[in-house]
Amino acid sequence: MPVDPMLQGLVAGFAVEAQEVVQKVTMDLLELEREGLETDALTKLYVRLGRHLHTLKGSAASLGMQDLSDIAHKLEDALAPLKSNPQKMPRPVVDVLLHGLDLFLLRAQAHADGRGDALPDPAAALAQLVADAPPPEEAAAMGASGVAAVSAPVAAPAPEPVSVPDAMPESSDAGWRVSAWQVTALMREVERLREVRLRVEERGRELERAAQLLAKQGLLAETAEARTALSGTARSLRTDGEETSDIVDALEEGLKAITTRPVRTILDPLQRMVRDLSRQLGKEARLSVVGAEVSLDRRLLEKLQGALVHLLRNAVDHGLELPADRERAGKHHEGALTLRVEQQGNLLYLEASDDGAGIDVETVRRLAEQRGVVTAEETARFNENQLRDLIFRPGFSTRTDVTDTSGRGVGLDAVRASVEGLQGRIEVASTPGQGTRFMLTLPTDLGSSPVLVVRVLEQLVGLPMLAVEATQLARAESLRLGKRRAHLEYQGQLVSVVDLGARLGLRALAPPAEGQPLLIVQSGGKRVALVVDAVVGDRDLVIRPLPSEVRDVPAWQGAATLSRGELLLICRPDWLVTETVQVQVTAQRRALVVDDSLTARALHRAMLEAGGFTVHLAASGARALDRLATDTYDVVICDLDMEEMDGIQLIAKLRERPETASLPVILVSAHDSSVARERGLRAGADGYLSKRECAAGRLLAEVLDVMSRRGSRA
Amino acid sequence: MKVTPRTLEESQEAEARELLERRAARLREQGESAVEEAVHWIAEFPLGEERYALSLESLRAALPLKMVSAVPLSAPHVVGVLRFQGQVLAALSLASLLGGHGWRQDPAVLLVVDRGDGELCALDCEAIPRPTTLPVSAVEAARVRAEGAVMEVFTQDRQLIHLIDLKRLFSATRGAGARHAR
Repeated sequence: MPVDPMLQGLVAGFAVEAQEVVQKVTMDLLELEREGLETDALTKLYVRLGRHLHTLKGSAASLGMQDLSDIAHKLEDALAPLKSNPQKMPRPVVDVLLHGLDLFLLRAQAHADGRGDALPDPAAALAQLVADAPPPEEAAAMGASGVAAVSAPVAAPAPEPVSVPDAMPESSDAGWRVSAWQVTALMREVERLREVRLRVEERGRELERAAQLLAKQGLLAETAEARTALSGTARSLRTDGEETSDIVDALEEGLKAITTRPVRTILDPLQRMVRDLSRQLGKEARLSVVGAEVSLDRRLLEKLQGALVHLLRNAVDHGLELPADRERAGKHHEGALTLRVEQQGNLLYLEASDDGAGIDVETVRRLAEQRGVVTAEETARFNENQLRDLIFRPGFSTRTDVTDTSGRGVGLDAVRASVEGLQGRIEVASTPGQGTRFMLTLPTDLGSSPVLVVRVLEQLVGLPMLAVEATQLARAESLRLGKRRAHLEYQGQLVSVVDLGARLGLRALAPPAEGQPLLIVQSGGKRVALVVDAVVGDRDLVIRPLPSEVRDVPAWQGAATLSRGELLLICRPDWLVTETVQVQVTAQRRALVVDDSLTARALHRAMLEAGGFTVHLAASGARALDRLATDTYDVVICDLDMEEMDGIQLIAKLRERPETASLPVILVSAHDSSVARERGLRAGADGYLSKRECAAGRLLAEVLDVMSRRGSRA
Repeated sequence: MKVTPRTLEESQEAEARELLERRAARLREQGESAVEEAVHWIAEFPLGEERYALSLESLRAALPLKMVSAVPLSAPHVVGVLRFQGQVLAALSLASLLGGHGWRQDPAVLLVVDRGDGELCALDCEAIPRPTTLPVSAVEAARVRAEGAVMEVFTQDRQLIHLIDLKRLFSATRGAGARHAR
């Protein structure tokens, strides 16, 4: 039915408005389907529903779209018998109304696109709608009994989630049209400004240190003027830093308002999808959302929508049991799906969980083998988590038949790919009989996170401040030292002590020394007392995702830029509180690599680890001595040319100490002359390798040779 | 009649035009005298005792090796992470990736390269690479022969260059990225 060309310009606006109204009607229908609503609430819902349908009918008619007006009229007819006696809406009626709304929207969009002429005659669709609807008296009776007395029609296939248009079409006076890259560029500038603020803070601290140094010189009178000037500048700098901070916050708020929209805007189609799918599968499900008010980048939301649809469909299809089975298992007949959204700084945490049957790891293993996703030899080596992660592999499906919903082996691998495409990560946790949780962590462009910076040996590490409950110093009276691990008495409980250095593989495990800083770190209801060497301070930092080469290292959440431009790795609190598998370290040989070149350390480590060594690293002679004072090693590989203390000096120090006097030491140098070699061996080195010889693959052989010679001499 | 330039700008402009004309003439002469062979531009550098190279088009930048933060528990070939143009990149040990054992000198340079999948990473290197060319025919022949990520290409003066195919190199190392916590 063609629309008057004069009115065509208004039809697009009507389509947008109709989408919004239909979404409201959909939510009201889903609400009316629920049990246990008070009569007052029911009455209000029915009144609102009637009003919305009437609006749709009137607006369509006023624009000459008689087909749409007729559909809305039929929907009003279906509603009428229930309105007079408000009660829970029977499912067949809800189905008919939802089906009718889908029809309404499809035709409205076609009119808006100028395809109204090509639409089929609505008579057939209307006749079907009427045929599907229970007779008025039956509908009222069904509502009164609260039971679906007639066989429910098969729900219409759920339409693709309807996206809400961002706004009304722009007019010249409505604002500016900006492209995504322009906004992204602004975000980058805000991030740079945040880094400038960090540098300003650092400069302020440097000025204060300079003033203190002057005071320490003792010439108080002579330096008074300079100190006053420095202190004044430091104060001004602090004020400037605070103002910059305010500007950064204001800019971020402004950008957020432009670029984000609340999560709830993508939830309505999800609610509808869950409802339709559970109907189709004979299940009952209810989706609850926590954090619907969180505002997220529009582009991120659009990309996430597909992943969420997959996860929720998966939860209804594979997770939730049939109502009768649930009741037999002592659960409520209606399955609970929960979507939890939380943003901490510039990290987004999204959790989709169900209270269904959970993942049967044994079934996953069997099916993965059957489908050729992995071999039996591989699965024999897998632990439970690795087996569970097989569900993310391409080609995996637990369905033995292909249905409309699943069974094609395309699903969770696509979800993982889309999350990883957003530089995020996805994990799954499941308890048999209790349900499954999918946890997504994603970076967002805006926002910063408070981070506590700590030091372990030479390594700076960031801890999300939200995970740090308290800090204290280690005291012998509050520590309980066992053979394999230590505990801290904290608030009447014994908390495991975790040495961050040992956990990161930087040093051997040792109980905390008296006065060493301990951080009480909590995550997911678990707590540990984390031993660090120093607490550097707290910073407000933008956490960026790690590159793909290190993204899978479970210890790290991301990296943030510090004031001098260097990166700080941010540790994942949930990794810190997770129990580690006790590794047999007694049989492994231990090597200490001392080199001021980061790449040389990395390369020597790689070669020695390949040879079965546990390798620790030191960037200077002084650090190596510190390490040797607390740890024991089978061999030291040391660079000859280092600043401050070279390899010869380090050997001299080692030979002075009884406990390291006979420790095998191999010197490595870029000098390949016999003079340099003789000098090194004369100084007490057990072996000497030029870098050229290392490049030729001699390192491991030399290490084993030196150790064997030392051993036979001993 | 010789026209004397009136201003400094005009004088400079005239000089620049002359220079460009001379260059154009030189190039025209080359085109007439030499039969040019299609060439593949590479960035060549020493690795241990051998000469290695990567395609120049994959090279994005050469940076001094500093400001790299080590990543404990990462794979052995990961030197650390660094910031490059607002992105966090991984710095990787090229010697380790290629199964080599070391350098003659400690690497002082990081080469920022496109891995072949659109993502960037940095590779350590002893020195800033030298741009040079290889005949395309030799590169194609070596590509057919090569099974791994390194192609052995002989230059016209019979020098052996190991040309690294970054796409193959990174697809081979993918999946072996993480070393789990001890």
